[in-house]
Amino acid sequence: MKTLLTAVSALALSTSLAYSATEIRYMMWGDPPEIAVWQQLVADFEKANPDISVKVEVTDWDSYWEKLRVQTIGGDAPDVFAMDAPIYPDWQSRGTLLNLQPYLDANPDTLKGVYEGPLKAYRLADGFYGLPRDFQTIAMFYNKDMFDAAGLAYPDASWTLDDLKSAAAKLTIDKDGDGTTDQWGISTEVWDMEPFWGPVVTAFGGKIISDDFKTTLMDKGKALDAWNFITGMVRDDHSIMSDEELDSYGYDGFIANVAAMTFSGHWVIPAYNEATFNWGVAPFPKGPARRATLVNSAGIVIGANTAHPDEAWKFVSYVLSEEGQSTLSALGFAIPVRESVATSPVYLQQKSRGDHKLFVDALDYAIPKPSFRGYEEWSAAVGDPLSLVWTGEMSLEEALDEIAATADDTLPN
Amino acid sequence: MSNAHLLKPTFANHMRSNALFYVLLIGGAILMIGPFVWMVSTSLKVPGDQFDRRLIPARITLSNFPTAWELMGFSNLIWNSFKIAALSTIGQVLTCSMGAFVFAIVKFPGREFLFVLLLATLMVPHQMTIIPEFLIFRWLGLYGTAAPLYLPSFLGGAFGVFLLRQYFRTIPIELSEAARLDGASLFDIYWRIYLPLAVPALAALAIFSFMSSWNDLFSALIYLPSDLEKTTLPVGLSLFQKLYQGKWTIMMAAVLISVTPIMIAFFFVQKQFIQGLALTGIK
Amino acid sequence: MSEAGIRAKGRERIWIGILLFPTLLGLAVGALGSIAATFGLSFFDWDMFTPPQLVGLQNYVDLLSDRKFKKALFNSIAFSAMYVPATVILSLLVAVLLNRHVYGKSLFRLLFFLPVVTSPTAVGLVWSWIYSKDQGLLNSILGAMGMDPVYWLGSKMALYSVVVVNVWGAIGEGMIIFLAGLQAIPRDVYEASMLDGAGPVKQFFYITIPLLIPSIFFQTILSTINAFQAFDYIYILTKTAGGGSTVPTLVFNLYREGFNFFRMGNASAQAVVLAAMIMVLTLIYSHLQKKWGQ
Repeated sequence: MKTLLTAVSALALSTSLAYSATEIRYMMWGDPPEIAVWQQLVADFEKANPDISVKVEVTDWDSYWEKLRVQTIGGDAPDVFAMDAPIYPDWQSRGTLLNLQPYLDANPDTLKGVYEGPLKAYRLADGFYGLPRDFQTIAMFYNKDMFDAAGLAYPDASWTLDDLKSAAAKLTIDKDGDGTTDQWGISTEVWDMEPFWGPVVTAFGGKIISDDFKTTLMDKGKALDAWNFITGMVRDDHSIMSDEELDSYGYDGFIANVAAMTFSGHWVIPAYNEATFNWGVAPFPKGPARRATLVNSAGIVIGANTAHPDEAWKFVSYVLSEEGQSTLSALGFAIPVRESVATSPVYLQQKSRGDHKLFVDALDYAIPKPSFRGYEEWSAAVGDPLSLVWTGEMSLEEALDEIAATADDTLPN
Repeated sequence: MSNAHLLKPTFANHMRSNALFYVLLIGGAILMIGPFVWMVSTSLKVPGDQFDRRLIPARITLSNFPTAWELMGFSNLIWNSFKIAALSTIGQVLTCSMGAFVFAIVKFPGREFLFVLLLATLMVPHQMTIIPEFLIFRWLGLYGTAAPLYLPSFLGGAFGVFLLRQYFRTIPIELSEAARLDGASLFDIYWRIYLPLAVPALAALAIFSFMSSWNDLFSALIYLPSDLEKTTLPVGLSLFQKLYQGKWTIMMAAVLISVTPIMIAFFFVQKQFIQGLALTGIK
Repeated sequence: MSEAGIRAKGRERIWIGILLFPTLLGLAVGALGSIAATFGLSFFDWDMFTPPQLVGLQNYVDLLSDRKFKKALFNSIAFSAMYVPATVILSLLVAVLLNRHVYGKSLFRLLFFLPVVTSPTAVGLVWSWIYSKDQGLLNSILGAMGMDPVYWLGSKMALYSVVVVNVWGAIGEGMIIFLAGLQAIPRDVYEASMLDGAGPVKQFFYITIPLLIPSIFFQTILSTINAFQAFDYIYILTKTAGGGSTVPTLVFNLYREGFNFFRMGNASAQAVVLAAMIMVLTLIYSHLQKKWGQ
């Protein structure tokens, strides 16, 4: 309970080695365990740069964006702050981010050895206004105990979405025969595309949005096959937990030990490591067209109005350095963006359970989570009707009609 | 007061002839306070019993209160809300009474016009003023601080001025005239005569301002970052709702904690408050 | 307006200025200035970061084809169409009941008034549970009676559910205003009509209602303003994951446009439309009052 309190309230920790040092402020979202690691990273950084001190502020995800918005509009943005790839173009277009290209030109080696997938999300026409800090791909987590109890073989790389559907149906069980389900095949969310529907739509050969980001495509063409597939699981098999059911289990039926499978990124591993049951990881199942997953990348940016751009840049480049990335990967949440670290024992042989390499290998078949101006509004225009399908209030057809009518209006021409 | 003297009813007679009215009233009252009763009942249940539909909890516990208190950092939220509400109240009582005093008893050219203009602003929706207000506070460098939540209260307001003016006008003007003969200034009359005599109305306005500030969600959403250190009780509660979905016993305890101060305050001043509100309805 | 009052002499006039200063500043900046500014901003495109751009009537033209705005407009009108009559009629009813000789009058008054005092955010949480689809109070009652659960806060029912909560929260205030109006009706009017053999129902329609016309109009105008500005319960009860709402009203939409998506010009245009609607309704009401009130 105490940890929840700390998660909600902003935690400020400052390490002031030299009192004459230039102080820069770094703000990020995160959970309490991440603070300790960042503290370590900052301490190392300050040791190497005694003239700079870094003040780290950590807030939970929702408050983070509110706080950043308030501070930015109020003209008091942090010197360095965390960014999420999909909404990076929106923040950039408002002139709130510093163009890092001059620094990159002066230090051409900075990006050498950084994965192209995460990097792509931050590359704009006139350079980088931010850099990836870590990345995430989505994989399938399964509860071995539940598979054993049902007498099913564990999922592996050969699995298709049809295998997923039939296993999920078999794993949806009314254990005590009272007419209500006690165990579901899958726990996932439908609002955000990242964990489930984005990969499924892509696996069916559909597209989420056009390449010029002017037309919504997730409601058209092959994507419709994906939606029929998903609806079949929701409506006919009831093998995916509904919104209300998720609500009763803290929005994660997998860790609550009532769902056999879930789709998530590496960030859940520290929490799942505490699970009382046995679990494993498998790649996202293949669809009729291909195997797919989404890759998303948390980034680090410098405020356009910072008084200390040089010091801020030093910190940013330290975060991306081999040393910084090694410290961060010890955290166990994210995957390092630097290949040399992601393939090193520091990442691959971390203490937590799970196949850590699988998440890096997923880059081969991953598509980037779309990132464009208007993302925030567009994702609500798409996600809100879809949630209603989940709650059983709207048919899928109605939801897709609604999306077709509204989603494109949110995209800037 | 009533037409009782026409019928001279006994209690039983009264009850018999008015049964329908009592049924309606009691039914209505139950609907009105039902949610509160349910809130209290749930806040006393152990988490496992939250869905048991019992009005009287099977097992009573007080542990939800310290839990909610700790999870929410209530002391911060209450202190922030209290600070803002107290300053708003002071601002309203002070500046509205100043304005109302002038409008009530001091004659000057253009008084009626200004007063009507002021009353007309009652009809202006708050939404018309939010955006410019926001821009002004940003320009003043106060965005992200609590100042935008209480500073506007120091600029009078049609409602408070109207309410106090109605009351001030019931104070005999002769008192002021006598004081004037003794050489009292306008300020003396306001400070020494009108304020002390208008305590009931001032109390009504005070509780009104305190209440609306204490309950204000919209402004806090706009001006303050939603972290529990800086924000107010209403925003804290809505964050709490997001974070502890489904934990109803703790949530109801949190709600009860947050409404108790205002309920206690209201209980003590309800008479003035209701009279004060009634004043606004009288032409 | 009574003519009683005192005049300030000579240098004393400065006190008028000092005492009135806060009110006048509020009037000039807070009210009149803001209205002018909102009106002005509605002709610009502005995201608060980059310089504003004059776009003329474009924001208003855009509203015509803005589905979100039209939906919000519809919701606000539908909300008001239910909320205003319900609030006025119910609070009048309660006031009439309490204006009789009843035992425990002040206790009843307190109970009916309680929802007005408590914060909508807090009580909204209680309602969110009452309405909750799974195990919520209403649905478990329905379940006990063998009926299917209803998704009270989903997109189909939310409008009605939210109206109920808002009316519930407003009855107390209306009740007080009507009680004040009722107490201003001279007793002997009723006594005379009783001697003529008029029953309570007849009295209500032939005496109470006509004499309460000013209060009824006052309360109708107040409720209309409140209806179009309703935000708190809607925010607490119908917010969705993406920051939207299952019943977005004009105020909700405006808040989101301006403060989430940084489209200040568009939000200002919506505020102007909202204000214009309230003004027009107020004018209609006062016209009707003049026509019928005499």
